[in-house]
Amino acid sequence: MSTPVVVPPECALPGSPLSNAQAGIDACVHCGFCLQACPTYLTLEDENDSPRGRIVLMRALLEGTLAPGNESVETHIGQCLGCRACETACPSGVPYGQLLEATRETLAQHRPIPAIARIILWIFERPLLLTIAMAGGRVTRALGIAKLLARLPGRPGFAMAMLSSTSRSKTSARAAVRSTGEKGRVALLTGCVMEGLFTETNRATERVLATNAYAMASAPGQGCCGALHVHAGDADAARRLAKTNIAAFERTNADYICVNAAGCGAMMKEYPHLLAAEPEWAARAAQLSSKVRDVSELLSAAGPVRGGAVRTLVAYDAPCHLVHAQRIVAPPLDVLRAIPELELVPLNESDVCCGSAGIYNLVEPHVSDVVLARKLENISAARPDLVATGNPGCLMQIGAGLLRAGSPTRAVHPVELLDESYARRAPR
Amino acid sequence: MTETLTASVDALRECVLDAGARGVALRVVGRGAWLDAGRGARTTESISTRELAGIIEYVPGDLTLTARAGTTLAEIREATAEHNQRLALDPHGTDDGTLGATVATASAGPLAASFGTPRDLTLGVEFVMGTGAVARGGGRVVKNVAGFDLTRLLTGSWGTLGILTEITVRLHARPEADESFAVSLERPGSAESVRRVLRRLPFTPYACEIVNDTFAAFLGIGHGETALLRLGGNAAAVRAQRTAFAELGVPREIDAAVWTRLRQAEPAGAIVFRMSHSASEIARTWTEANAVAVGCAGTLLHASPTRGVVRCIVPSSDGAAGWLRRAFGAPTMTTRIGERLPVDLWPMVSSAPASDPISSGIKRTFDPKSVLNAGILGEVQ
Amino acid sequence: MTLTAAPASKIDQALASRLAAIVGERRVLFRPSELLTYASDGLPSYSKQPGLAVFPGTREEVIAVVRELARLGLPFVPRGAGTGLSGGALADGVVLVGLNRLSRILSIDAENGRAVVEPGVVNVSLSRAVAALGYHYAPDPSSQTACTIGGNVAENAGGPHCLKYGVTTNHVVALTVLLPSGEVVTLGNASGEQEGYDLVGTFVGSEGCFGIALDVTVRLSRNPESVRTLLADFLSIDAAARAVSAIVATGIVPAALEMIDQATIRAVESSIYAAGYPVDAAAALLIELDGATAGLEHDVATVEALCASNGARTVRVARDDAERARLWQGRKKAFGAMGRLASHLVVQDAVVPRTKLPEVLAQIAEIGVRQRVRICNVFHAGDGNLHPNIPYDASDADESARVHLAMREIMTACVNAGGSITGEHGVGLDKLPYMDLIFTPESLATMCALREVFDPDRRSNPGKVVPVHACREWHMAPSARPHREIL
Repeated sequence: MSTPVVVPPECALPGSPLSNAQAGIDACVHCGFCLQACPTYLTLEDENDSPRGRIVLMRALLEGTLAPGNESVETHIGQCLGCRACETACPSGVPYGQLLEATRETLAQHRPIPAIARIILWIFERPLLLTIAMAGGRVTRALGIAKLLARLPGRPGFAMAMLSSTSRSKTSARAAVRSTGEKGRVALLTGCVMEGLFTETNRATERVLATNAYAMASAPGQGCCGALHVHAGDADAARRLAKTNIAAFERTNADYICVNAAGCGAMMKEYPHLLAAEPEWAARAAQLSSKVRDVSELLSAAGPVRGGAVRTLVAYDAPCHLVHAQRIVAPPLDVLRAIPELELVPLNESDVCCGSAGIYNLVEPHVSDVVLARKLENISAARPDLVATGNPGCLMQIGAGLLRAGSPTRAVHPVELLDESYARRAPR
Repeated sequence: MTETLTASVDALRECVLDAGARGVALRVVGRGAWLDAGRGARTTESISTRELAGIIEYVPGDLTLTARAGTTLAEIREATAEHNQRLALDPHGTDDGTLGATVATASAGPLAASFGTPRDLTLGVEFVMGTGAVARGGGRVVKNVAGFDLTRLLTGSWGTLGILTEITVRLHARPEADESFAVSLERPGSAESVRRVLRRLPFTPYACEIVNDTFAAFLGIGHGETALLRLGGNAAAVRAQRTAFAELGVPREIDAAVWTRLRQAEPAGAIVFRMSHSASEIARTWTEANAVAVGCAGTLLHASPTRGVVRCIVPSSDGAAGWLRRAFGAPTMTTRIGERLPVDLWPMVSSAPASDPISSGIKRTFDPKSVLNAGILGEVQ
Repeated sequence: MTLTAAPASKIDQALASRLAAIVGERRVLFRPSELLTYASDGLPSYSKQPGLAVFPGTREEVIAVVRELARLGLPFVPRGAGTGLSGGALADGVVLVGLNRLSRILSIDAENGRAVVEPGVVNVSLSRAVAALGYHYAPDPSSQTACTIGGNVAENAGGPHCLKYGVTTNHVVALTVLLPSGEVVTLGNASGEQEGYDLVGTFVGSEGCFGIALDVTVRLSRNPESVRTLLADFLSIDAAARAVSAIVATGIVPAALEMIDQATIRAVESSIYAAGYPVDAAAALLIELDGATAGLEHDVATVEALCASNGARTVRVARDDAERARLWQGRKKAFGAMGRLASHLVVQDAVVPRTKLPEVLAQIAEIGVRQRVRICNVFHAGDGNLHPNIPYDASDADESARVHLAMREIMTACVNAGGSITGEHGVGLDKLPYMDLIFTPESLATMCALREVFDPDRRSNPGKVVPVHACREWHMAPSARPHREIL
């Protein structure tokens, strides 16, 4: 054996976000345990598209072996879904999500973010524009245009299918629920896509929380959480959004910030890391983050109260940002188990990414499709009536995939099912 | 045939070099148990390792033992018994056989069902090749992947690649309870039913053999097809195993000496061969073995249902060889392996097990002048 | 890490195109920036970039690729998942043939407990696939969630449960092998006994030097009816080692018997795999007993008593599967957890006779003190298979040199105790310098000659396992050694 002396190379990117993340890169022992956890490795079968391979590329950037403009770097860092499944598999505790964000931020300083991504991110940073865009989406959906155009080939068709999949069949009007409030005051991150396209899911969230004895507090002035921005490498925009939200939620004085979108929850829990360079904000972020809970965590902590029977076969698909980023495994299942006669069917690779990954499916459509195809195969083998998953990106990705495949299975948020179950409860 | 006895590795090496120089092929022998097996070795002189004997190292706490090749199994049994341990090999024949011969022929008996064969129990070997070179494979520790696996290669190579001089084996501690039972199997197709029970039960008996009616009578354990079971472990485990086997019939406790009688059942001059296939085919293999045996009075059959092997012991008789020649001519899906056969039957059973290109290449490399047991595993290509 | 252009003259764009015609454009990597990640396996202190990497997806493609390489006389290195710990899958400037895409389980024979798998099947996925049938694949290296069966065959991989169930070679019954010449041969007998040379046993553990396994017929093991996992902690390593000997002497064969020392316990407990090991213990034993339920509790009681009588402070028996899994998780991920301790890590793999454990562990501790390096021991105590790990900072020249010395001293101590230089990681590149310590020139020359039967030009995984000088001696032999012949 030999233990070659490695003379530390001069850092090729001094002061870059990536160079600040050097310790995280050094934690990687190259053991390869992450390979089988990585959806892009599983589907593309090239180690360059694995966490271990991407960390090698990151190290090469720092050492100057490869330059930020290098095509291999662009391709493979770009193709990462950011699902962070590797973090769950990593025995060395490599903070891969942070490394990826630091790399993308560093690369963005050398080469602009792709145009389509820039436009989307620009809109998401502006509440008014976002509201208009979402309204446009709802109109397109309501007129059935989305469903029609969903048959188009390629991205436009897929985008329309995503939109169409968000439509919810009209349920009977639900009575407002009075809450005892004994479990605490909760402010809901209404979110951009959630409030725009999954309006009903947000209302359902409020109802089921109330049923479980949480009092709802409104949080005006909140906006997009910034996750899409930070994943794409636009950390500055993410920081601006984070500050807006911190201020908005501080004003509510709520005990908990409830998030029903896994990606947003993961982001808000990481605000302290995002704002680490600004001590005052970092402290406020830490205060806020400690209150952030996924809706399933709140429900699980409260019981949840059992509802009426919903006779259906449900496969649970764990959103990456819930299971890997937030390490929340059991609570969503607790939510589903609170529903009598709902039968959970096992879904193979339920903890593997569906390929949605924020706006990844629009930026890297080819890889996204391959990853989604594997997910659809697993769903089809499980033969559920419904796929339950607690993140809007996953709901649309899987929903669109099922729609375009002509599958009878639909994707729903676990909270919607619980809400339905509560609506069916025998009146007391 | 001239026999040379060697008492040292150097002498053995000289002998091999000398034979090579003279162009003579040597028959490698332990205590000569296989000399009358009819194998077609083209040898004119023999060399025995029986004087190259003695235990070199035995550390009970390591459960390993290193001995010279000529050490008998009996010596090893005695040395290890003192520490309540054993070498879990019970090849057919007596314990007068040498460790070297047992490993060289990869001979195993009923205990193979749970402890494996010499290929699983041999940890290291030293051997003199046909070139006179002395090489070692493996080592003295129980786990070892250093270098290519010369130990596995030499084990079962019938002395054709090298003469084993020193061997390290893995030992096992003797269990708290080690009991033997016989169960009479009344229904036909019993081999398959025994296999099914074994597959379902959550334990593996130390040994399980099914013997035919003739063999049961020979062993003095009653009549009809009978299962012999050897159950080991702690007392509670053995009790539970015994109870579990009751579904096959009533287990009768028998003396452990039955295993020795089984190992030594071959009458002088007997024809002995094995037939094997997947374990799930044991019923067909058993039937086929019975069909082969039906023409030879007094044939002893025993099957190891978990290993899918049936061993046939055909006593010498006027018509036996002729009957078997016809029987062996019939198509079979089993693998037949000869142990002792008339010379002319060998090609019908084990034609040339080491004459494929790779085996031939290995033979030419290890023994370029064909000094060692030439032809015993067939001719090189 | 530096980028190097492919040195071999024949590795060029033309070769890349010819191989791409077989496997598809995307499956041939030729640009240095794409080959960086393939410069190391699980032991990144060795880094050598391949000249080209090719990833066939079917058996036919593998054959076509290897035949093309044979035609051109080009050396190649087969690679599975690249989780090996001896540098065995490094392709220094030559062609790397990745087999990770051949990941189909070809057949499962539940009745006979056999499965036929392609080489790229991940170890744990085979166990998962047969779980419902009541079986598992017994060899369970710590990397089992990532490593491939093909790689396991090449390395004769072990794992904690090999104490009772045996290593890879005890579980392979037949192989279809692609020789470096491009010829396909079948080794072993999948149904029935095998007569003649044990070519399967010879191939297993040949570290990619004898060719590529195209399919592997393995023996499956029945799932035990019951499993009990115990954690015993000790205030001295010596006491833990004594308990190991006492357990083994009873005749009870634990499914696994692992020792974890204090430094490792602390690394694990500060990782996400914290298993609840007591951080103030000098050593802990993780003991698993399995088999039929009847009699198992008796064995558990015996083992508990032996631990106690040898000085165990506490003995804890896992109450349920979740606790059991957690205890194991800590052990299996210990190697990675040590990555947290420093920027670099070396792991050693050596075997000593069980009775020498206390003595050798004391020597290792002494070496650590003398060389001022931190040595963490986590290993298969039941079969004396040591894994000293040393976390260090490779950019510190002085520390690196001391680590190097410590490693060599540890190895020498193990060999002097009658042990071996590798129990399960293989020789690869890492252990080459130690082969002379345990094998004579004649033995090494024999191994080299054996390899040439399978690979006359020594093109498959060149430069591994047997030191080159040993092979040269073989060729130079005739004049010096009259009894040898050149073939």
